[in-house]
Amino acid sequence: MPASRPYWRGYLKLSLVTCPVAMTPATSESEKVRFHTLNEKTGNRVVSQYVDSVTGKPVSDEQEAKGYERGENDYVILTDEDLEAVELETVRTIDIEKFVSRESIDWIYLDTPFYLTANEKIGDEAFAVIRDAMKAQDMVGVSRVVLGRRERVVMLEARDQGIVVWTLRFGDEVRPESEYFTGIEKKGDAKGISALETIIKKKMADWSPEMASDPVQESLIKLIADKKKAKKRSGKTKSKASKSDDQHESNVVNIMDALKKSVAKELKARKAG
Amino acid sequence: MTAHRAQWKGHLKVGELSCAVGLYTAASTSERISFHMLNVKTGNRLKREFIDSDTEEVVEHDSQVKGFDTGNGDYVMIDPEEVAAVVPDADKMLQAEAFIPHEKVDDIYFDKPYYLVPTNDEDQDAFASIRDAVVKTKATAIARTVLFRRVRTVLIRPHGRGLIATMLNFDYEVRSSKEAFKNVAKVKVEGEMLDLARHIIETKKGEFDPAKTDDRYETALAALVKAKSEGKTLPKPKPIKVSKPNDLLNALRESAGMDKGSSKKPKAANANSKKKAASTAKKPKAGAKTAHKKAS
Repeated sequence: MPASRPYWRGYLKLSLVTCPVAMTPATSESEKVRFHTLNEKTGNRVVSQYVDSVTGKPVSDEQEAKGYERGENDYVILTDEDLEAVELETVRTIDIEKFVSRESIDWIYLDTPFYLTANEKIGDEAFAVIRDAMKAQDMVGVSRVVLGRRERVVMLEARDQGIVVWTLRFGDEVRPESEYFTGIEKKGDAKGISALETIIKKKMADWSPEMASDPVQESLIKLIADKKKAKKRSGKTKSKASKSDDQHESNVVNIMDALKKSVAKELKARKAG
Repeated sequence: MTAHRAQWKGHLKVGELSCAVGLYTAASTSERISFHMLNVKTGNRLKREFIDSDTEEVVEHDSQVKGFDTGNGDYVMIDPEEVAAVVPDADKMLQAEAFIPHEKVDDIYFDKPYYLVPTNDEDQDAFASIRDAVVKTKATAIARTVLFRRVRTVLIRPHGRGLIATMLNFDYEVRSSKEAFKNVAKVKVEGEMLDLARHIIETKKGEFDPAKTDDRYETALAALVKAKSEGKTLPKPKPIKVSKPNDLLNALRESAGMDKGSSKKPKAANANSKKKAASTAKKPKAGAKTAHKKAS
């Protein structure tokens, strides 16, 4: 996967130790087969642009500004520079204020993971000290940082040569479990449990990334490749348009059938395995 | 069981035991502050228009179709039915295919969590037995099914009286941490430096409740808007002093010493602190509330 551009640059701080760091998302949609919107008439891509809502004229990037609505139709324009001046030290600095055990933060609060690395040579050693000390103490750090115009609470966990920064969900973003779980039977049936334990132990496995594969994406890639071929072919045989169109259609139908079958088969194989 | 609407209904199956279950959204994302886009010259609001990338003509909704990039900016149109056809038929079955020891799970793959709840009274026993067996074996179940028109993998683990199914990101969506960190300089940390840093961590050990956190950005932004609309000069961010390698040991020593009397230290960004900024900045005016709405 291609290395992504830093999503955030700033500083990591532990007490009086500060080092420059960069953060990149740990997940990316770049390899996902995605739809695009096309113009049916021309086959070209459809893109969006900003126009002035009154004059209807397109607006260039330099003329665009962010407006904070103070009252009805009353805006205060804020430049990116202005936004930098927000008086929160968390705009630029992840100051690790507290350390807790990893288990004390429930999985349900984990929102989005990022990878944090030292950003300049000057910070290499300080970064390594913070990372290794967290590892040695078997603790994760808790701090805050402003990301995407929200001040997020984050958890810092040493991993390999770097640090994973998890944004944590706020309390009001996690729905109260009592609304869902109250009323569920307290205790399972003892015999049933011991039978299930046997099954579970038999099916114990190590985690592997293939467990999160995407068979539909594999099929989509095939579908697109076939479409591309069909398009080329129909382009070459323009003179015999009607004939090739028929052929093309029947081909597509066959491919679809075949794909459906192969995906179904694959799923079965996975379940059996 | 619950008054909420299920995102998915089907069966959970371990071995030959199955029970009717529903998946319910466990977490939502609160909206961030959004701005309205304006034209600096006219002060008018902006709106989005969809145009042909080549002819630059406006493309009406009726003429917008789905397509795929086949590389080199070449696109093919695709009938949504053809796309739907590659998704296998939904069997509505979350079958545990494997179990992973709880501590071996790689959380980097986590996407959204869902509460997994029995939907029939008759299936309460089966559900509770599965839950208790997973608790006893300290295992996490892996299951795959068609969810949101895609074959997805979920991790199922016990949570109180219920279960939580965490949807996973696909393998190709997760960047390898080894790859991401491979350029990090290999620095060996040992001796006094490591001891001091460990000591600092020890002094900062504490309790943390993620449920009791707040977002101070909105209040800080309101203060900024107020300052700007009153024509005040906005404060320049203070330069940040980076620890130089030859000062690092000193900085650690000082931190380790200073933190013994940490009660005197002003708290900067304690994640569980009360709204510090809120007490110093005035609440935004009533009209400012509308700024939460998405920019069109």
